[in-house]
Amino acid sequence: MNSLLEQFLSEARDFLQSISEKLMQLESNPNSVPLMTELFRFVHTLKGNSGLFDFPEMTRVLHASEDLMDAVRNGRVNYSNTLADQLLEAMDFVGMMMDEIQVEGKIIKNYSATAAEVAKSLRGLLDSADAVNVPVAIEIYTEEGLAAKAISWAELPELNLPESIAMALYRCVMDGDTVFWLQYTPEPECFFKGEDPFFLARQVPDTLWRNVISTNDASSLAEMDVYRSQLIFQFLTTAPTEELDDLFRYVPDQIHRIKIPALAFVKPNGSVNNQTVDDEFISSALVLLEENNLAGLTRTLLTMLELSAPDLWSSSVLRWVLQCIEVEPDNERMQYALLNALRTQITPDWSSMTPTIKPHEVAIEPVAVRSVITPTIPVISSGLPDELLQIFHTVVNTQREILSLPGKWSAGRLQSVAATLLGCYRTINHVYEIETEAALQLALTEKSPLPLLALLEAALLDVAVVNTPESEIIESLGGRENANRGSEDVVSVGRRSEDAAGASQSKTLKVDQEKIDRLMNLIGEMVVAKNALPYLANRAETVFGVRELAREIKSQYAVINRVAEEMQDTIMQVRMMPMSFIFQRFPRMVRDISRKLGKEVELVLEGENTEADKNIVEALSDPLIHIVRNSLDHGLELQDVRVAAGKNAVGKLIIRATQESDRVLIEIIDDGNGIDPTVIKNKAYEKGLIDEATLERISDQDAVNLVFAAGFSTASVVSDLSGRGVGMDVVRSAVERVNGTVGIESIAGKGTRIYLSLPLSMAVTNVMIIQSNEQIFGVPMDLVVETVRVPRSQVRMIKRKQTTVLRGRIVPLLSLNDLLANDVAQLPNEDDEFATLIVRIHGEHVGILVDNFRETVDIILKPMTGILGGLPGYSGAALLGDGSVLMVLNPRELI
Amino acid sequence: MAIEYKKSLAVFSDFVGVEEAENLLEWLLKNPKGKINLAECGHIHAANLQVLMAVKPQIVAGSKDENLQLWLGML
Repeated sequence: MNSLLEQFLSEARDFLQSISEKLMQLESNPNSVPLMTELFRFVHTLKGNSGLFDFPEMTRVLHASEDLMDAVRNGRVNYSNTLADQLLEAMDFVGMMMDEIQVEGKIIKNYSATAAEVAKSLRGLLDSADAVNVPVAIEIYTEEGLAAKAISWAELPELNLPESIAMALYRCVMDGDTVFWLQYTPEPECFFKGEDPFFLARQVPDTLWRNVISTNDASSLAEMDVYRSQLIFQFLTTAPTEELDDLFRYVPDQIHRIKIPALAFVKPNGSVNNQTVDDEFISSALVLLEENNLAGLTRTLLTMLELSAPDLWSSSVLRWVLQCIEVEPDNERMQYALLNALRTQITPDWSSMTPTIKPHEVAIEPVAVRSVITPTIPVISSGLPDELLQIFHTVVNTQREILSLPGKWSAGRLQSVAATLLGCYRTINHVYEIETEAALQLALTEKSPLPLLALLEAALLDVAVVNTPESEIIESLGGRENANRGSEDVVSVGRRSEDAAGASQSKTLKVDQEKIDRLMNLIGEMVVAKNALPYLANRAETVFGVRELAREIKSQYAVINRVAEEMQDTIMQVRMMPMSFIFQRFPRMVRDISRKLGKEVELVLEGENTEADKNIVEALSDPLIHIVRNSLDHGLELQDVRVAAGKNAVGKLIIRATQESDRVLIEIIDDGNGIDPTVIKNKAYEKGLIDEATLERISDQDAVNLVFAAGFSTASVVSDLSGRGVGMDVVRSAVERVNGTVGIESIAGKGTRIYLSLPLSMAVTNVMIIQSNEQIFGVPMDLVVETVRVPRSQVRMIKRKQTTVLRGRIVPLLSLNDLLANDVAQLPNEDDEFATLIVRIHGEHVGILVDNFRETVDIILKPMTGILGGLPGYSGAALLGDGSVLMVLNPRELI
Repeated sequence: MAIEYKKSLAVFSDFVGVEEAENLLEWLLKNPKGKINLAECGHIHAANLQVLMAVKPQIVAGSKDENLQLWLGML
């Protein structure tokens, strides 16, 4: 994958995230213009970026989204939940494609159909909104209108084909091929996009006929703009739809495709002169046809053909009849029509034989159509466009002429005129319903068109009067429109300059995580190397006896130490990420889930700017999603239940992150129905997780904590228990993997609070070095409660296990040598005391007997890899200043 | 050069790109009787095509590329 694509993917993900964020924000604040503008900009930029690559499907969907957002921004479409849903769906689709690109480097599956569908549904929103705002325009121009309407015979393109090609095509259709008439109208600016429409046109497969038209409208050649495409390409092809779709996948809106019926090709051509085929021949041929004597007819026709000049129109007809007899011997109607045409010298009207043709699959140039609508909108909404007025006048004038016609006026005729007029008046928003009705009644009684005519004249005058100021309005509107356009230009220019300024001022750098990790490793080595200096100073003094040098080394060490520590701090800072990285996905998730469950939930995010190491933040994401999902699914109740319980109908879910010294505290608080400890207790007892004695004396808090117990999250428990505790043990282990802790507090009926406490960074670990069996080990300081020396006399055996009493508490004692399976007794000191490390594991204090304590050090803990990675007793290893390796124990696993 | 301009003949060869269009039009305007030789031409960019269509110069030799000739034969 090239770096440009990589950058696009990483940026695009950010954009998608921002888009869904903005959509969420819009949901609570649907009229915010800045939000809308920003949203539009995101979609716009994303679309632009996607255009750099060969992902037409993605670009198409984004383009549709952009159009929709543009409409929303300009107030043409109202923001709605449906719209948000559609947009989110579209973004999901884009995200899905991006996933595929990420993995495969390109889009493998064929998404064009899905993309078209998504784009269409987005555009559907646009159109339905247009329909509401500009009913008049839509009647005339709708895209759906064109798509849905069956193409009538008259709308078929004019085909002027050489006879041989026409016959070949006719035979193709008769053989079951589908012949498409394809018109490709490249957009004028296409050359600037690096397109070569002619090249594309040459790629159309199975072309039987091709043509290119120039729409050059420049008055002189010198004025011709060679870089504006003025070409229209036309084809007749038998290529399958998919192949055409694929070929024109970048420009689907510039293609107009119509399926051509066989008869459309049957069009005799040639020179027409007075010398027609004589009637006698035609009659005899018709008789042969009636007798169904096709062999005889063929012979007669061939003879006639030999007698007449080949370039005559009549000869062409004869050839067509022969062709028809050969291909469709049963189609007598067609043969008859053709023979009859010899007499009339007019190409038969095939439309009577095939009344309508099925609607074509691709709508005609929706883009061009829209560009017609757009500028007229403001005019229509307040005044009347010129074209419409013209149409209005034409219709009304026709009606006036009709009314002026002399003759007998029947009631139906009067009514029809009245209905037409009424329709016209409605179109231009002049309501004359009552007047028209009255005039109609009068006309009916008088059986004369005069009352209607009078009304018409009056109304026409009225419209003209009203319209004089209106034409001014139109003009001023036009002016304002121009002004608007001007200001829009200013806006867009401003935006671009803003962008440029933003780019130059941007202080953010996107750096590959690997580089940071490498930096991290290097600083780790630096720290190790630096730590070697005190050893060196020591050696200088003791081994070589140069105190001066030792002192100088030490002072140098102090400087290096300071710089190295600062450096380390800074690199840690680089790795820090705000919690918003994982928080930002919750609004969408909560929205989706709560909708699915039919619950109303208000999500409150706090402390999104709290930072923690990237690894920690990333490790948090899955457990958090799990917890939030649980809270939504099982914690928060349905609306009516909540109301019945006297709570606010809308449930509240708070996700809060705070920093507490060197740890991050994350709380997920809901005001749902909480966890009932009694139920948990009983379930745990049933499951055999606790015994009867525990069941009796376990505190409510401890009972709630049981949800973290492994094995508690089985399916049956889930359903019986309203599911609290689903995979909570998974959550706990995930959090503990990054040295975090998780706790839960719940009051039945009131709500639940789950809190996760995590280290800010896992890069530097403070460990205590201990000695046992002549080796040194590290123990993470955050586990160590205290270090004590326990005299041998204080060690008691309870149930064969060593224990001691420490400050009134019984503490079990474990020997490290035993834990590590070394068959050596721990060494006491001279006073026969054991060095005991008191550690806290799952809230319990445990004493670990070691041989001796050493200093505490900050180390960069490297998790063990390979075969050693499978050793659960160690959390990793680190290099010490003197170059030796320190194994760091993981007491949680060890005990 | 994809187009070699001689006294009154423009010889197209290989692929004639979009950037040639302006020169071609200029040349054709200067040489109203200029002729075109397409024999060695494989493809012309649409911009050139529309120039040829607008000016309609005499084409003295069609392209040896059959597909291209199918299109240009109509000029």
